[in-house]
Amino acid sequence: MPEENPPLRPLIPGITAQFPQDVTVLPRRKDMLAVLKVTPARVAEVAKYLRDVGSFEHCALVSGVDWVDHLEVLYHLWSDSLKGYIELTVDLPSEDPHVPSVTEIWRGANWHERETWDMLGVRFDGHPDLRRVLMPEGYQFHPLRKSFELHEPEELEVKARHV
Amino acid sequence: MSDSETSGTSKIITHVREADAPEPEVPFAEIEIVQSKEFIPVVKENLTGMIQRGMEAAVKPVFNWAGRNSLFPLHWGLACCAIEFAAGFGARWDGERFGVVPRSSPRQCDLLIVNGTVTWKLSHKLITLWEQMPEPKWAIAMGNCATGGGPFRTAYSVVPGVDKLVPIDVYIAGCPPRPEAMLDGILRLERLIRERRG
Amino acid sequence: MTHGLWNLRIKVDGELIVDADPEIGYLHRGIEKICEYRRYNEVVTLMDRTCYVAGIAWEQLYIMAAEGALGLSPPARAEYIRVLSQELQRLSSHIMWYAAYVQDIGLMTPFLYGMRDRDLILDLFQSYTGARMTYEFMRVGGVRNDVPVGFTDRCRKVMDWLDQRIPEYEKVCDNSTIFLDRTKGIGILKAKECLNDGITGPMLRAAGVARDIRRDRPYSVYPELDFDIALYDEPDCYGRYRVRMEEMKQSVRIVRQVLDWLDRNPGPVLAEKVPRFVGTPSPPPGKETYVERRGYPKGRGFSSMEEPHGEAMAYIINEGAEHPYRAKLRSPVFVNIAASKDYLVGYRVSDIPAIMGSVDVCVGESDR
Ligand code: SF4
Repeated sequence: MPEENPPLRPLIPGITAQFPQDVTVLPRRKDMLAVLKVTPARVAEVAKYLRDVGSFEHCALVSGVDWVDHLEVLYHLWSDSLKGYIELTVDLPSEDPHVPSVTEIWRGANWHERETWDMLGVRFDGHPDLRRVLMPEGYQFHPLRKSFELHEPEELEVKARHV
Repeated sequence: MSDSETSGTSKIITHVREADAPEPEVPFAEIEIVQSKEFIPVVKENLTGMIQRGMEAAVKPVFNWAGRNSLFPLHWGLACCAIEFAAGFGARWDGERFGVVPRSSPRQCDLLIVNGTVTWKLSHKLITLWEQMPEPKWAIAMGNCATGGGPFRTAYSVVPGVDKLVPIDVYIAGCPPRPEAMLDGILRLERLIRERRG
Repeated sequence: MTHGLWNLRIKVDGELIVDADPEIGYLHRGIEKICEYRRYNEVVTLMDRTCYVAGIAWEQLYIMAAEGALGLSPPARAEYIRVLSQELQRLSSHIMWYAAYVQDIGLMTPFLYGMRDRDLILDLFQSYTGARMTYEFMRVGGVRNDVPVGFTDRCRKVMDWLDQRIPEYEKVCDNSTIFLDRTKGIGILKAKECLNDGITGPMLRAAGVARDIRRDRPYSVYPELDFDIALYDEPDCYGRYRVRMEEMKQSVRIVRQVLDWLDRNPGPVLAEKVPRFVGTPSPPPGKETYVERRGYPKGRGFSSMEEPHGEAMAYIINEGAEHPYRAKLRSPVFVNIAASKDYLVGYRVSDIPAIMGSVDVCVGESDR
C-alpha cells in the first residue's frame, strides 16, 4: 500500500472496499492527491462514486495516451473542498478500444471524450453524440496514434506523385 | 475544392495583370491634385460617358488610382497574426490613414489579408470568401503560416502555404509580422497595382 | 471579435434560440502531435502560438509540466519574473478582450482605448523578451534572461497609468445604456450548471464560485503574494465583464509586489543543472553537471494554472527521450464553448455576439 494522503483518508479505503476488484491504488505523485487504476468496465460507476461521495464535482480533463501495445485513458478530477486533483487511469487494448462514457455524470466531459475519440480512436459507450470535433467529419485517421507520422509537406507531395 | 475553381480565378487575375494598359491619358499628378467635392460629379459623369463610348482603356487608370488608394481588406481573423492585424488598425498604427478600412462583408472588399494559419478544414470557406469578393481583387499572405505553413508546416491539418488555394500578390514574413510590416505590405501592394496596371 | 473562426449552428423559433451546436476545429494545427517531434525547449515556440493573446501563460504552463516530468526546479528570481509575465499577460489579454468585446456590442471608443494601453504593456514585454506576442522566453529550469536595467521603473509607470485607465474603462461601459441593455441579464449560467459543464475562469467566478487555481492549488510564488479573487454574483455577461475588470486591478497589485521583490533580490534566472539535451544539443566539454542524454529518469509532469481564460492544464509524459512522449493540453475555452448550448438557449439571435464575446473565445487555444 503506497503512503496515504490525509485529505483522502476516508475516501480511498471506501473506494477500494466498494470496488475491490476494479480499483488499484497506484503510487502517489506529488502533483496528484491520488492515482487510481480502474478497469474499463467500471469507470462510470467509480466516477459517479467519486462525484457523489468524494465531492469531485469538476471533471477537468479526459485524455489518452497511445503506448503502442495498449492505450491509456486518463481522467483528471478536481475537488473544490479537497483543493486538488485525482487521476484515474484506464488501460485499453489498442484494437477497438471501448470505455463507458462519463458524460452523464459530468456534462463537461462531453467534448473531451469527443476529442479523445477524434485523436486516438477510443469509443465512449453511451456518449450522446460521439462525432469528431477537431478534424473534419470523414477524416480517416486518428492523428495522435503513434502509427500516424508527420512528414514535411514536400515529402508528401513526392509520395503522392508516385502513387 | 476542385482544380478548375482556382485556375479559373487565377486566370482572370493574370489576364487583368497582363493587359497592357496604355499610358494614362490624364497624368496621375493631375488626378491626385483634384480633391474638391464639386469636381467629383463632373468626373463621374465624364467617366460614365467615356465607358459608354467604349473608351474603357482610357478610364481604367482613373479607377485604378481610386482603387489603389482605398483598399478595403476583409475584416476577419484567423490566428495569431490577426491580433497584429487588429493592432495595425488600433490607436498607435492607425492603418486607416492609408485609406485601408477593414470591412466585414466580402462583397465590399477588394483585398484579402490571410492573417494566420489556414487548415484544410477551413480551406473551403476561404475559397468561398475569395470567390465572393468582386473583381478586381488582391490577396496578401500575412505571416509565415499563410506564406508556407510556418511552425506548423509538418502538421497533418495545415495548408502549407495559402498560395495553394488563392493567388497571392504580396507575402509578408514574420511570426507574427509587426503592424508596421503589415502596413508596409499593403503599401507595396499599392505600388504593385500602380506599376503593373497603371 | 473572436480572432479565429468557428461555427455556431443554431435552431431558432422566430428570434428565439432553441438549440445550438458549436463547431470548432478550423484552427486545429496539431500542436500536441508536433510536440512529440520537438525537443523540450523547442516546444515553447509552439506554446506561444497556442494561445496568442496569452502566450506566456501557456509557456509557463508547459514549462511547469515539463519541469515536473524532468524533476527540475527553477531559481526564485526566475519564478518571480514568470509571475510578473503572467500578470502582465493577464492585463494585456483582458484589455484585448475589452477592446474587442465592447466594440462588438457597439461602442467604438474602447477599441481605441484598449489597443493603445495594450501596446504599452506589449512594449514592456518587448523590452525584456524581444517580442510583442510570441515571446519564446521561458526555459526548462528558468527563464531566458533577466529583466533589463530600469525595467522596474518603466513598469511601475505603466501600472500607474493603468490605475487611472481601468476606472475609465469602467466608466465608458457603465455609463452606456447600450452596453448595460445588451449585457445585463443576458447569457445567464448558474453556478450549479457551470460546475457540471466544467466551466472555469471569469465565467465561473461571475457565478459566485470562488475557484482560482492561483489560490486553491498555488503554483510558482503565488502563495507569497497578496491578492483577492475577483467575484461577482450575477452569472450574466455583465458579471463576466465586472470580474475581468476586477481581475485587472488585482493584477496591477500583484505586479507591484513582484517589482518590489525584483528590486531587492538579484540572482540567477536559470537553474544550474539543466540537462543539455533539453536545450542545445552538444554539452560544453568538461562540464560534468549536465546530466547524460540518456538515462534521465522517466516521469510524468502535470501542471494546472489560472490562465486569463480559465483553468488550463498540461500533462507531459517523459520517456527519457529528447522530446516529450505525449503532451496533452487542456484549454479552458474548449470547454466553455462546448457548453454554449446551455447559455444560449432562450435568448435572441441578436444576443449571440454579446454572449459569445463574454466567453472570451480564443480559437487558437480551443483548437490547438
Ligand atoms: S505566422 Fe506565426 S504568428 Fe502568424 S499565424 Fe502563423 S504561427 Fe501565428
